[in-house]
Amino acid sequence: MKKENKAFAFRGKYLLLVVVALYGGLFFVNAPGAQLALQKSGSILLKIVPIFAFVIFFTTLLNFFLRPKKIIAHLGKDSGIKGWGWALTGGVLSHGPMYAWYPLIEDLRAHGMRDGLITVFFASRTIKIPLLPMMVDYFGLTFTIVLSFYILVGAVLQGILLELGER
Amino acid sequence: MGMDKKEKKQSSQRPAFFMVLQKSSLNFLAMAPLLLGVIGLVGLFQVLVSPEMLASLFQGNPFLDTLIGTFSGAAAAGNPIVSYLIGGELLDQGISLYAVTAFLLSWVTLGFIQLPAEVTVFGGKFTFYRNILAFLFTMIIAALTALTMQVLS
Repeated sequence: MKKENKAFAFRGKYLLLVVVALYGGLFFVNAPGAQLALQKSGSILLKIVPIFAFVIFFTTLLNFFLRPKKIIAHLGKDSGIKGWGWALTGGVLSHGPMYAWYPLIEDLRAHGMRDGLITVFFASRTIKIPLLPMMVDYFGLTFTIVLSFYILVGAVLQGILLELGER
Repeated sequence: MGMDKKEKKQSSQRPAFFMVLQKSSLNFLAMAPLLLGVIGLVGLFQVLVSPEMLASLFQGNPFLDTLIGTFSGAAAAGNPIVSYLIGGELLDQGISLYAVTAFLLSWVTLGFIQLPAEVTVFGGKFTFYRNILAFLFTMIIAALTALTMQVLS
């Protein structure tokens, strides 16, 4: 587990520098393309700001109402079937890109969430409830049900295998 | 008994809500360059790699196309709706259901662009195992889904 009072430090500075350099390079080669990429990034950022706000608020609520012992009981080593259920439900209900959820999952992991459950959370995110009608429209109801079933089973198996691999 | 009471007292003492909110916000702020870097990469990718370029990678061989579907889905970035649109078009073009399913799955669960961020946040070992498993299960689930659809139809 991580220390509670660690010094504030930005993370991913080098990644951001590399991305800024890539944009700089693209501006020289293809200025309209770089401008369009910047616009697209801006619109992605605007779209996921509400998710970021939700993640900050949800992390706050978890840390305020749930003591670490409670989190461990629900998502820790001895959480059992309940833990798998929470991870699957959380994954299916979570919206937006995977990386938007990194801060929350990292926080839960620091409080004892099992790596297997993190894997289940990420794997079950393939089911997007708001997009299910569209999937049915494009690929049919049977395909959507069959795929969703295998995604859920596969997510749990991935979680189990990851924990076996980490031992 | 004395220890139990002390523990209970400690666990019932909650920090002020504002303090917890401040701590959560600071933790998030610390990760801002990482998230901005990934978002920047997604924007670049969406401009430099068009859906048509991805669709042109498929060859018509079910096994090879499933592999291509997995890799191209992992390399792609953006809203999953786009993957449905491309997947629908690929099916219309006669690309196998194996490949299209793999493409839809890997679009969400695998992501080359977010790998640096995942390694930074969760560590190399976890990221390696999770992505290998996600890759293998994308292929397995795609095959099982397509086979089940064949049986059901």
